Amino acid sequence: MDDILQIFFQECDEQLQELERGLSALSDGESEHETVNAVFRAVHSIKGGAASFGLDNLVRFAHVFENSLDGLRSGRFAPTHDVVKVFLKAMDVLSDLVNEARGGATVDSARVAESHAELADISGTGSNQNASQAATTEDVIPADFSPVPMDFEPVPADFEPVPFDFDFGEEEAPPAAASLLVTFRPHDALYERGDDARNILIGLADLARECDGEILTTCDRSALPPLADLLPDKSYLSWQVVLPPAVSEDNANAVFDWISEDCDFSIVREGAEAAAPQEPTIEQPEPAEVVAVIPPVEDHEAPPPAPTPSVAHPVQILSPLPAPATPDAHPGPSPAGSAASSTANGAAQTAARKPEQASIRVDLHRIDDLMDLVGELVIAQAAIESLSRRTDAAGQHELVQSISSMQSLTRDIQDAVMAVRAQPVRAVFQRMQRVVREASSMTHKDIVLTLEGEDTEVDRTLVEKLTDPLTHMLRNAVDHGIESPEARIAAGKPAEGHIVLSAEHRSGRILITIKDDGAGINRQRVFETAVKRGVIPADAVLSDDEVNNLIFMPGFSTAAQVSNLSGRGVGMDVVKQAIQSLGSRITISSIPGKGTTFGFSLPLTLAILDGMLISASGSTMVIPISSVIETMIVNQSDVYALPDGSNVISIRGDCMPLIPLATVLKLSNSPPPDSLDASVILVVENESGARAALIVDEIRDQTQVVIKSIESNYRQIFGVSAATILGDGSVSLILDVSALVASAIGHIDIKPSNIRAELAA
Amino acid sequence: MTEQTELKEATDTKIVKMIVFAIGVQEYCIPILSVREIRGFEKTTTLPFAPPYVCGAINLRGIILTVVDLAVYLNVPPQTDNPRRVVVIVESKNGVVCGLLVDRVIDMADINLNDVQAVSEDGSCLGGLVLVDNRMIGLLRLETVVGQLVTDTISE
Repeated sequence: MDDILQIFFQECDEQLQELERGLSALSDGESEHETVNAVFRAVHSIKGGAASFGLDNLVRFAHVFENSLDGLRSGRFAPTHDVVKVFLKAMDVLSDLVNEARGGATVDSARVAESHAELADISGTGSNQNASQAATTEDVIPADFSPVPMDFEPVPADFEPVPFDFDFGEEEAPPAAASLLVTFRPHDALYERGDDARNILIGLADLARECDGEILTTCDRSALPPLADLLPDKSYLSWQVVLPPAVSEDNANAVFDWISEDCDFSIVREGAEAAAPQEPTIEQPEPAEVVAVIPPVEDHEAPPPAPTPSVAHPVQILSPLPAPATPDAHPGPSPAGSAASSTANGAAQTAARKPEQASIRVDLHRIDDLMDLVGELVIAQAAIESLSRRTDAAGQHELVQSISSMQSLTRDIQDAVMAVRAQPVRAVFQRMQRVVREASSMTHKDIVLTLEGEDTEVDRTLVEKLTDPLTHMLRNAVDHGIESPEARIAAGKPAEGHIVLSAEHRSGRILITIKDDGAGINRQRVFETAVKRGVIPADAVLSDDEVNNLIFMPGFSTAAQVSNLSGRGVGMDVVKQAIQSLGSRITISSIPGKGTTFGFSLPLTLAILDGMLISASGSTMVIPISSVIETMIVNQSDVYALPDGSNVISIRGDCMPLIPLATVLKLSNSPPPDSLDASVILVVENESGARAALIVDEIRDQTQVVIKSIESNYRQIFGVSAATILGDGSVSLILDVSALVASAIGHIDIKPSNIRAELAA
Repeated sequence: MTEQTELKEATDTKIVKMIVFAIGVQEYCIPILSVREIRGFEKTTTLPFAPPYVCGAINLRGIILTVVDLAVYLNVPPQTDNPRRVVVIVESKNGVVCGLLVDRVIDMADINLNDVQAVSEDGSCLGGLVLVDNRMIGLLRLETVVGQLVTDTISE
């Protein structure tokens, strides 16, 4: 049971994502039917699943949400900005409720009630008289809808009020000859999933109302046993609804879209056989009458969490597959095909799954690609095996060739596996919508977050690690970046603030930027605060960039007052660390009055990197090839010594610090030789484009290395980002070029700026 | 996890199986349940800024771990030419794996914790002394050693 619950939560996550996507499409003005349907479907699936697990809170809220969405679906009101806003808020509540059901923090009931009221509000105001009546009746009796628990109340009265709500139809004139006759009989499964026959009746009534008609509803209670024999969780009632002629069959079918597999229904145009079967055709619906028995479509409806009985005996579900072909009228527990297949599916998933989130969904063609490559690998291996038995020279030559083809194959397989692990950043980015929404409502600012490049794919380990830093940075952008609406208007900007979160591929890395159109960093204030906190001396002369970077100092905050969101001075330093641990550095550019842009680039994967093998003082080390610009041999005449003993080298007119690697890393105690003539240097560059030249003993090779953490069993080492294992099994260190460059530049750059300042003064 | 519960049970009965090894002329022991394996000493990769007692890093089937030269750590003259020098791979309670370079492994001993004589120093790597077959054996506090390895700041 727990396993199924886990699957349900996994599905909830997916549905919530779907919901988020749909709602943001709506807020962008795409009010296509399909979008609305997708949104509706998501909420509906969550509700259905939650009902079968008896997650009351969740069901109740999802139900209200669904009702309001239904108003949108049936066009009772338009997805205006305000409406979507309410929906977004409701979605946040819903996801919190899901979280709560999963064992997370309890949701503040006031929040639920507030969102509840707002939802009820929009379904009330936006609709016409009848609809609002329907909406109010719905809201007056929310207790009436208590799907699972209701099943255990042994009073059929719970079902009965339902048709009576709509009895007004019966007072109307009898329907015309060509009216549409809908007969339906819910299965037990319908109620188990938290749906209600009443919803269908409402749907049908809405259809009729659209055509200015009314419906004629007859409830068949013939199957209802005496109260003593009544099983509370069985479905006994069936309905016959006569719709006005103007209603098309397609529309009527659409009402049953969500529940087609959970009830028997027939839609017939009352023509020649005007004397339609007065006694409802529950026991044997004549096959000829059945216009549409919609086969269960996997995609269409998220697989319902399988009912317990079939899961308890998973073997059972494998056999009765012919079932969905014919409409079965007996009220057995048979949610037929889709449930069966999804259970089988679910069982397979459960087997492979360990704790939370341990499974991923992968595009089938990626697996196929991988399979093809593995096939080739097997062939290549056989070729090598047969070639290795040959001793002649030609055989040797061929052997070398096939080894090199195997090499490229290995690389392809590696790429293919990476593609399997890759995930679009959408999942994280969309979560940020909510962060911004909540933060902006807390700060009473009107802010729109625009996402760009959500389809950019990165390794899933990275995707997960992105959430925290992005949350911090966006909150910061909302709280400090964007000004209050009044200030914005005063500055001649639109009251609505904009934040753009974008991701893009750039030369083997992912570049992520957060750009706001706020006031920019107030460097004066940052500087003053830093002085006040003793971070820097009062007479320090700092470049703009250095001032910007002060905000990453621990405990640094310029916020005049501590707000709920930020201003406590924890945050940006955490962000910086998190980003650094992902192998990147944050760059800031800020224009006063125009806004601030934070950017950082991430590797595509944390697992493998192209490296250059070098040696320094007897140790073999790896330098990420992406940071190596060029390699060359020093000409002593280009080297200039600085007063503090360090050297700079001029390469084609560019001066950069020379870093004697062995000395910097304290690998050798001997002082660097006086003459650097003919030593090998690597010109390396960090993310922000600063360059330095590393002096090494020799360049050995270029190879791909698998990144291994060194910190898990040791501490962090300056200048070393990780380690790897070379072909001979020995450990080699991967150098942290950014840190090396930064330290070298720190040695050299600040002093000139001081001198410059003195000269200026 | 199981290791810890076993350890706890063992502590309850006050008898702990220890592995005894020699460093120079001194003998030390650690709980055998914290030992993962014992392997020969091989060439290590020097780590920059490492404290003197860290020999370097080795590759243990894909895991990179550091080897601590216990002789240097405990300030005992090491027997560098001893062919029986081995690396005892240990895992601390918080999951950090490291290797301890010892001069030789002697044997195993059941040590009754009630017999251990505490030494006064707090925070030292020596947890106490115990007498086994008339040999004085020091109880090495693994957590202290490993903790230092992981958190020591480097004075440049």
